[in-house]
Amino acid sequence: MFSSKTIGWTLRCLLPFVCLTGSLISQDSGQAKVPASGSAVGARAILGLEGISNNAAGQLSIQGDTLIFQPSEGSITRIPLGSLQDVFLSQEDKESGGTSMAVTRTITPFGGGRVIGLFAHKKYDFVTLEFLDSNGGFHGVIFQLDKGQGQVLGSELETKGVHVSRLKGDTAKQKPEAQNEVK
Amino acid sequence: MKLNRCPLLTAVTVAIAIVPSALTLPVLAEVNGSTAAQWGVEVNQVDAGDLNIAPEFKVAIYENLLIELAKTKQFSTVLRSGDRDAKGVPRLLILKTALESYTPGSEAKRAVTTVSGATKLKVKSQLCTPEGQVVLEREIEGNVRFFGGNLRATHNLARNVANVLKQATLPESNSSPR
Repeated sequence: MFSSKTIGWTLRCLLPFVCLTGSLISQDSGQAKVPASGSAVGARAILGLEGISNNAAGQLSIQGDTLIFQPSEGSITRIPLGSLQDVFLSQEDKESGGTSMAVTRTITPFGGGRVIGLFAHKKYDFVTLEFLDSNGGFHGVIFQLDKGQGQVLGSELETKGVHVSRLKGDTAKQKPEAQNEVK
Repeated sequence: MKLNRCPLLTAVTVAIAIVPSALTLPVLAEVNGSTAAQWGVEVNQVDAGDLNIAPEFKVAIYENLLIELAKTKQFSTVLRSGDRDAKGVPRLLILKTALESYTPGSEAKRAVTTVSGATKLKVKSQLCTPEGQVVLEREIEGNVRFFGGNLRATHNLARNVANVLKQATLPESNSSPR
């Protein structure tokens, strides 16, 4: 159906994208393997931390009776463990590589982006905190951690007397396309 | 005589034209501004009912609602659920959000197939007075179909809720909402 010339040309076109994707994936996994110093774990504040931009990377640690998030840039956020109402641990599939990966996937020709999309996904632990501020206002914060780190943090919080709920299935496993509906 | 009348007439005409516009425009602007900014809103926690939804989705809807409502500048203050400052706000509306349906999607599926794997959320939003009277009730959806993670659906939903509230006519500020 396709001449060897066409196949060769297609492969030559895809080669730079495959190389770029490979380097992005290796960069991402490299970051994940950085050992956490002490009890601090690498985390990404997805949403809800006041004064910190969404998706800010940093270190999450427990010091005494306080949960501390130290972003790479900016001021430290402290959440007293006593103010935590609930902590939920869950897992979800997410595209790795960030915006650069998404752009690469989009501009790759001949459906190559779909192939990249198939492999450029990784499971992450999500830690959802619900707490009250000093004024009684309800806050929700979502942290994204590398796979397995959420359990470590959850266990540490449990030893401090915080209620931690572990959810078995991740969002992606909840029968995709099967609609939950309240009538 | 003619020479004396002309400048006087001109001055009177100019005064008639300028003075009312100079006086009324800022006054009107102030009135409109105060009407729009007089209501405060307290965002209640999301009620998921019996739906099996990941906790990060519930939290993300709530937090995104706070962000998006503040962006619209329609309300004088946007308060969190349970905030004690709510007692000091004279004209306060309460935003209640109840989840009606949730279709969990898959980012990987979206990336590979484009047409499947959408994450869909549908909520019933109610704007109520502290006494419980419903001022506004709408069913609003938020989806993510192509680009972005699953949590992007919560951002889209919150933006849609904020847009609906922005377009809605709230009760007059100087009349009782009852």
